[in-house]
Amino acid sequence: MLWAREIPRFSAARTPDSLARPLAATFLDRITWVDRLAFTAYGLRVVVRVDDPGVLQRLPDYLPHVWKRSASTVANRLYSIFTVSGPKVDGRPDSDQDRKIPGFRTSACHLYRGGRALAHTDSLEKLLDAFESDLRLYVATWALRRVFVHAGVVGWQGRAVLLPGPSGSGKTRLVAALVRAGATYYSDEYAALDEHGRVHPYLKPLFMREEGMARGKRCPVEELDGRSGTKALPAGLIAFTRHSHGVAWKPYPLSPGRAMLGLLANTVPVRRKPEAALAAVRRVCSEALALEGPRGEAEDVARWLLSRVER
Amino acid sequence: MLPCARTEDLLIEELPNELVVYDRIRHRAHNLNRTAALVWKQCDGKTTVESIGARLRDELEAGMEDRLVWFALDDLGKAGLLRERIEVPENACRLSRRKITGQLALMGGVSLLLPVVISIVAPTPADATSGTRPQRDP
Repeated sequence: MLWAREIPRFSAARTPDSLARPLAATFLDRITWVDRLAFTAYGLRVVVRVDDPGVLQRLPDYLPHVWKRSASTVANRLYSIFTVSGPKVDGRPDSDQDRKIPGFRTSACHLYRGGRALAHTDSLEKLLDAFESDLRLYVATWALRRVFVHAGVVGWQGRAVLLPGPSGSGKTRLVAALVRAGATYYSDEYAALDEHGRVHPYLKPLFMREEGMARGKRCPVEELDGRSGTKALPAGLIAFTRHSHGVAWKPYPLSPGRAMLGLLANTVPVRRKPEAALAAVRRVCSEALALEGPRGEAEDVARWLLSRVER
Repeated sequence: MLPCARTEDLLIEELPNELVVYDRIRHRAHNLNRTAALVWKQCDGKTTVESIGARLRDELEAGMEDRLVWFALDDLGKAGLLRERIEVPENACRLSRRKITGQLALMGGVSLLLPVVISIVAPTPADATSGTRPQRDP
C-alpha cells in the first residue's frame, strides 16, 4: 500500500525536499507503516507516517497553529517516525549523515525528513521536539500568503506589539510578562504577516528556558492566566531589545527604514521572496512606533511598552 | 569616471526621508538616509560630483561640502549600489568622518546631513529562527 509519496513540485510553493533522494529512502520504504497523518498548513501539504499509532495521537500538539487534515497521499514534505531498534533496522548501510547523527543502531526512536535522518534518540519527547522545530522552520520558510518574522507578539488595545530578535534574547520572558500584564498572547516565536502588514497569531505553548534546566519547558498561555489572540492586528509597536542584567530601559526611536532593516534581519523567507517580505515589513514599519535598546527585568519593561501603545 | 547607480536586481522601498534597498544578488539590505539617498539618485553616469553637491545644497537648503558627496559615494560603492566603485580623491578624505561630524556639529545640528548607509546581510531561514539543528542525544 502506498502510504505517502513526495511530489517534486507544488504549484505555488516549490520546495527543495525532493530534489535529492538519498539512500535512506529505499530503506524507509521497506518499513511497515501502520498509520499516517496528512495535513495542510499555510498552503503546504505534509504527510507524517508512523509505525506506532500511539505516536500519531501525540502529533497534533507539535503541529503549526493552523492546520487541516487532508486525504491526499502526496506531499511537499514527508516525515517518517519509527520506533524500532536493533535487528529490525539492520541491513541498511550507514550513510555519511547517520555517522554524523549518532545513535541510529542503538536508539529507539528515529525521525526522517524525506530520506534524510533528523534525529535518533531514546526519548520520544526529544524526537517530537526535533520534528516540531523542523516543521516550524519549513512552514515559516515556504508558507503561502504569509511572511514569518522571528519575533514574540502580543496584542494590546487592538494593536500588535512585536519583539523581534534572535534566540536567547529574552523574547519569551518578555512576552510572558506582557501576557501577565493583561496583553493577549499571539506568539513567542513568529509574527505571521499578511500582505497588508497585519499580524496574525501563531499560537503555540510558550517555550520557557529556566536556568539549570537542560531543556526548556512548554508553558500553555493558560498557565499564565492569559488568553490567546484570534484576529489579525495592525502593528502598534516594535521593540528591538535584548535582556541584560541590571540595565536600565532607555530605548531610542528608530526611523521606519532602520526598523525595516531590523525586521528583515529576522525575516525567515526574505531570501526566498524578498518582494513580499519587503512589502509586508514596510507596511508594518510605516504604521508602528519602533524602539531599540537593551532592557533589564521583563516586568518593568512590559508595563512601559503597553503604556506606549496606549498613547 | 562619473558615478552611476546600479539599478538591476535591486528592490527599492521609498520612505519619507530615506530609502530601503534590497540586493537580490548579494542578499543584502541597505538603509540610506536622506543625504545618501539623494546622492544615489543623482548618480546617473552623466552628473559630476560637483553638480551632485550643488543639487544637494539646493535640495537640503544647507551649505555642505562636496566632501560629503564623496563620503556618500564611498559608502554606496562599498554597499554595491554603484555600477563601479568610485576612486575617492585623497584630498576628499583628508579628514576622517568623525572629524567631519565634529565640525558639522559645531555648525549646529548639521550632522544630520552626514550621509549614512547601513547594511545587513539577509538571513537564511535557519539564521532567522531558532532550534533548527538536528537533535541528538548527548
